[in-house]
Amino acid sequence: MIVIDAASPVPPFEQLRTQLARQIQDRMLTVGSRLPTIRHLAADLGLAVNTVGRAYRELEEAGLIETRGRAGSFVSAAGQEGRERARQAAADYAAVIASVGIDTGEAIRIVQAALTPGEAASVSA
Amino acid sequence: MSNRPFPDADPPVRPEDLRQAGTWLVQHGLADARPTPLLATRLMVRRRARLAGHVMLAALIMAAALAQAYGMFWSHPPMPLLVLAASTVGFLLVRLLLDRWVRRVDRRAAATLSRRAAHPLQPGWRALLGRPYATFAAASFAGAVVLALSALIVRDPAVWYAVAILLVGLFGVGIGAALQLYDLLVRPVVAEDEVSLTADVIMRIEDARELTTPTVLWALPVVLLFGSAPEWWNAAALVFMLLGLVTCVVIQARTPSSLTAARQAMSVQ
Repeated sequence: MIVIDAASPVPPFEQLRTQLARQIQDRMLTVGSRLPTIRHLAADLGLAVNTVGRAYRELEEAGLIETRGRAGSFVSAAGQEGRERARQAAADYAAVIASVGIDTGEAIRIVQAALTPGEAASVSA
Repeated sequence: MSNRPFPDADPPVRPEDLRQAGTWLVQHGLADARPTPLLATRLMVRRRARLAGHVMLAALIMAAALAQAYGMFWSHPPMPLLVLAASTVGFLLVRLLLDRWVRRVDRRAAATLSRRAAHPLQPGWRALLGRPYATFAAASFAGAVVLALSALIVRDPAVWYAVAILLVGLFGVGIGAALQLYDLLVRPVVAEDEVSLTADVIMRIEDARELTTPTVLWALPVVLLFGSAPEWWNAAALVFMLLGLVTCVVIQARTPSSLTAARQAMSVQ
């Protein structure tokens, strides 16, 4: 289910984008699922067509959905492949951590620093 | 679900409508939910539209019977046939107007909601209607058309005339049902939370199931041709009706309830 709250400080397109992205990442929306058309979802949610179009565009740029011309928008396999690559990289990283004897807490801090570009330099220094 | 009234809803919500909405929720296994003006308004407008649709269908059957009777007693068959064709077009137009009225009331009710809920994946005809009902509807329509055409074997102008009337009526009803079914599939969702979203799907499922119950397809051949057609045709018409009735009862008994079907439709998302 998608819920858009007009009283929320979060813009409607962001509410929509976040909920769809989460459902795709949680695999509630499986690869190949056909999303409603922009016009139909806009009518269902009482939003402007441009608002839904912007959410779809951002999901497409993130590789979570793909538009196949007039056939509509579908949940993309690219997002799934990205998660598989991330899982594989995490497994490789865990193997390196175990081989060099770094404890779990420090390993997680290294990852957190790597995910936050500003802090990456300070940790390596 | 929101409990605010709809000041600009058309027509206004009455306490009786709210009470009926409460009964509807209990009957559909949603006893925990409170009846809201949103639900009461939507159910009330559907009840009225359904009643008007039934009256229109009855009028169409009566018009068909009158057209046939006119053709039997006076020898000016094209005129009543044209009147019947015009009645069928009128019936379709009224159906479209009723659908537009339901959509307008839904839209006004939806405009008052501060929260809107929708499906990330749109339930299709398989989820809303289901294969058994769809197959049954298609088979009933095909059966009624075949039954009508089979009467053409009889070389009697009166029977041919009745068959022409029957075909106009059958196609009018068929096109009307197809248009309504399409409207059910594409009509925007009006919901603000999980309960109202479930109620929305239940309403669609029940409307779709009712649309495909072929009472008119059973009634029209018997009303128009029974008696004037040969014995074998009368027997075939009765078998068609009884077989359809038994199939309808079996399908209704064996398919999940509208609540179960609605939850299944929402869970596959």
